[in-house]
Amino acid sequence: MIEIVNAFGSGLTQIFNGTTFGLMVLGIIIGFAVGILPGLGGPTALALMLPFVVKMNPVQAFAFLIGMAAVVNTTGDITSILIGVPGEPTSAATIVDGHPMAKKGEAGRALGAALMSSLVGAVFGAFALASAIPIVRPLVLSFGSPEFFMLAMLGLTFVASLSGEVFLKGLISGGMGLFLATVGLCPMSGVQRYTFGLTFLWDGVGLVPITIGFFDIPEIMDLAIHRSSIAKGRVGKLGGVMKGIKDTFRHFWLTIRCSAIGAYTAIIPGMGGATTQWLAYAHAVQSSPQKERFGKGAVEGVLGPGAANNSTLGGSLITTIAFGVPASVMMAILMGAFLIQGIVPGPDMLIPEPKGHLALTFSFVWINVISNIITVGICFLILNQLVKVTYIRGSRVIPFILLLVYLGAFAEKNMFEDLILVLFFGALGWVLLQLNWPRPPLILGLVLGPLAENRLFLSTDNYGLAWVLRPGVLILMAVTLSGALYPLLKRRWRREKMDKIEPSAQEPVNRNGQGLMKFNWETVFFLFIIGVFAWALWQSRHFDFRAGLFPWAIGFPVLSLTIFQFILGFFGKGNATRGDHRGGTEPDLPADVVNRRTAGIFGWIVGYFVGIWLLGFSVGVPLCTFIQLKISGREKWLYSLIYTASAWALIFGIFDRVLHVPFPTGYLFEALGIAV
Amino acid sequence: MKRHNLLFFIAFFVMTPFIFPENQMAAPFYEGKTIRIIVGYSAGGGYDAYARVLSRHMGKHIPGNPMMIVENMTGAGSLISANYLYKMAKPDGLAIGHFNGGLFFNQVLEQPGIEFDARKFEFVGAATTEDCAIAFFKASGITSMDKWMGSKTPVKMGGVGPGAYAPDNVIRILKASLGLPIQLVSGYKGTADIRLAVESGELAGTTWGWDSMRVTWRKALEAGDAVVVLQAVPKPLPDLPKVPLAIGFAKTDETRQLIEVGIHSPGAFARPFVMPPGTPKERVDALRQAFQETLKDKEFLAEMEKAKLGLNPIPGNELERIVAGIFKIEPTLTAKMKEILFK
Repeated sequence: MIEIVNAFGSGLTQIFNGTTFGLMVLGIIIGFAVGILPGLGGPTALALMLPFVVKMNPVQAFAFLIGMAAVVNTTGDITSILIGVPGEPTSAATIVDGHPMAKKGEAGRALGAALMSSLVGAVFGAFALASAIPIVRPLVLSFGSPEFFMLAMLGLTFVASLSGEVFLKGLISGGMGLFLATVGLCPMSGVQRYTFGLTFLWDGVGLVPITIGFFDIPEIMDLAIHRSSIAKGRVGKLGGVMKGIKDTFRHFWLTIRCSAIGAYTAIIPGMGGATTQWLAYAHAVQSSPQKERFGKGAVEGVLGPGAANNSTLGGSLITTIAFGVPASVMMAILMGAFLIQGIVPGPDMLIPEPKGHLALTFSFVWINVISNIITVGICFLILNQLVKVTYIRGSRVIPFILLLVYLGAFAEKNMFEDLILVLFFGALGWVLLQLNWPRPPLILGLVLGPLAENRLFLSTDNYGLAWVLRPGVLILMAVTLSGALYPLLKRRWRREKMDKIEPSAQEPVNRNGQGLMKFNWETVFFLFIIGVFAWALWQSRHFDFRAGLFPWAIGFPVLSLTIFQFILGFFGKGNATRGDHRGGTEPDLPADVVNRRTAGIFGWIVGYFVGIWLLGFSVGVPLCTFIQLKISGREKWLYSLIYTASAWALIFGIFDRVLHVPFPTGYLFEALGIAV
Repeated sequence: MKRHNLLFFIAFFVMTPFIFPENQMAAPFYEGKTIRIIVGYSAGGGYDAYARVLSRHMGKHIPGNPMMIVENMTGAGSLISANYLYKMAKPDGLAIGHFNGGLFFNQVLEQPGIEFDARKFEFVGAATTEDCAIAFFKASGITSMDKWMGSKTPVKMGGVGPGAYAPDNVIRILKASLGLPIQLVSGYKGTADIRLAVESGELAGTTWGWDSMRVTWRKALEAGDAVVVLQAVPKPLPDLPKVPLAIGFAKTDETRQLIEVGIHSPGAFARPFVMPPGTPKERVDALRQAFQETLKDKEFLAEMEKAKLGLNPIPGNELERIVAGIFKIEPTLTAKMKEILFK
């Protein structure tokens, strides 16, 4: 016991050595930039830094690498909130409420909340790691595929709470996500499902292009249509950074619970920050008595994912350290660093020196805590400047956001096809927003789908049907059921209570043409979904049982649900058609202006894509940026040129020359045979 | 005065090519150029690690000392990068691909998505081979071949999906050719997840590259918790001298051939470095030679050692021969192999 306490102490003191501390700060600086820049993710940065680690000693190496890994999620939240583009794939959930806050002029408050909850999450994750050390091996080893499957099911029940007021639409949206997750090579049978013979779909539809398309394209369209800056109002001088910090403590219990969700689900292999953030967000919604506030700038929606994506690191480290099983790509690279340092992750990491490396393990805990304290400190110093981004006029911001959208979509996997996915899901996301369909359930279905399908088959293959009776499964089943039923019951109780107090307090919903048959865009969209599902199920008739089970198990119920909801809606019993659920105080524009501007910005977005396709990134991006600034924005020559030059410097200088991102040659150059 | 100096310098540089014409002629092609190694997997993985270490040392062995960079082109188990290298990359000697060589084997088996002809690639060489060891956890009771062959119930082994060389193909071929009692449970995300499932008792064991296994499972192997009972290689690995070879259990010519074609050959070309078809011969030769020299480079070896990356080099011409070999097998064997691996 004494040895463990000693190791805990020496883990801390080891960091405060000149070189080690310096390297940690260097790691933090790199992580800071990486987190802010979409398209430059933590894994890429870690892989690039790996060679430098060869010459360092273990504590130095991990101070450098974990310092970097610890802060990317913190600063990734900043981009998510300010411009609605996730700086990291793991900070996408922060957009849902963080960006609407920025639009309301509360960017400062959102940032304050995100940063403070990140810090709380990081500290929690670090201590979860520390406290898990004695029990982690037996705990994780008691989990098998059946328990992993049940955890995925538990996560899926959150779809209900993410659906908010439009419960059935939310379920359909979640079902669409689960169905999208089946695109690609079936991991059990190797059969291609819905790949259209395209190799880039073999690995399925990426989370990054979907998130970017879903949340950013509608934002850009909104900015262009309203010709405003991101923030549509001003609240206070600083937009309330202090208020955001206070929010963290006002909802401290929520922040802690979300930290726990992040840290403990990350222990499961395959559950990284990309998943935990959504679970935490869903929990924040679920546990709130006023669900209707979410998606419009509720601070709890920032605190949840803010805390979870940082505490995830601690949880992921547990599996990496104790078993050598990397829970995420970033952890896989860290494992590479372990091996370079001659350290094999495994039981040794949990035994005090000299036999093991416990002090080193504890130093990870401390590095995680200290680097987050430093980052959050630095962020608070520059928040004032950052918030100003939201007051710049839209026409100046849009070219920059579009650049980040396409760059971010491309650079995750270096695949041009992902840009097409962005456009497709951008259009879908815009339609969903217009028709008041919740988008987060789809994302949750997409991230949990593969885990659920895989582990279901692994459970059945390993244990037959006996897995259903494993004690862990039964416990998780009980938790899942109560988790699913409790919010429903609570809502009913609340309704009853509210009806008693003020019977007419129902939210005014614009039910135009109630009780009449109506044919509108909603109808068209329903028919579209029904068509897609019917087609997909028809296609699946060739699948064998293993490849087909999951698509069928999701497809048929979702199809029936959709038809049911469609009929309800068609006869006017369904939910409102076009609820104004977007945040901010938007001036009402005449319909023809809206239509014209929508068509206009749609043209710009597609044109930008075509520009990149024809001319490649290093020519297409600066050119589109310039044309947009000069023609659409009517900016001055000098301003446009400097802006364009900076865009070019970012693409060509940093991503092409320094990071060697393999940008494709423009189609035009290809056709003309000109090498660029 | 200064102006004169400047003029002199300019004149000197302008005239240089004329004064020393041979020098200009002999300036190596690769001088001032950049060679890209296009890796079919993401940054931070095994393929990426080999490519990056190589890129830091190989340049100095190529005449003209070009810069070498690594690009990651992920997707479809590196098939996207293989197709790219075959169809799109210019055969100018500045592109090297590093992807899963098992795809060559998939071409023989006529799997969908393959748009290359493996025989037309220019082979630079392979730094290592995929030498599979088959290991079980002691708790499963399978601690020797006798125990395995005598097992009354099928022994559960973990896989990642159909078509993967290790563990899936190796396990399927062993089962079919040696008649071992095996239940392949496939669909795990990777060998790390399988390892975890083995330790938790969900699976009995599995197989994957010994180079990686001896590092990531060192503790369990040393403590005797994990036992290597068989190796799927042509001759015993240096640190596994006593572990029997799979081919030694083959009873007929056909089973021997299944193991040779399905396990030994793909193991040898699992991690190839190749260039697009039609790359000028002298550039291929220059890189082949530089590759061999790099593999003897002290600094390179030190870095490989530190990163725990194993070496078992195969020169380019040898690699070319092995790959060509798998295209010469009997159609009946191909049909049989398809049956084993994908049914």
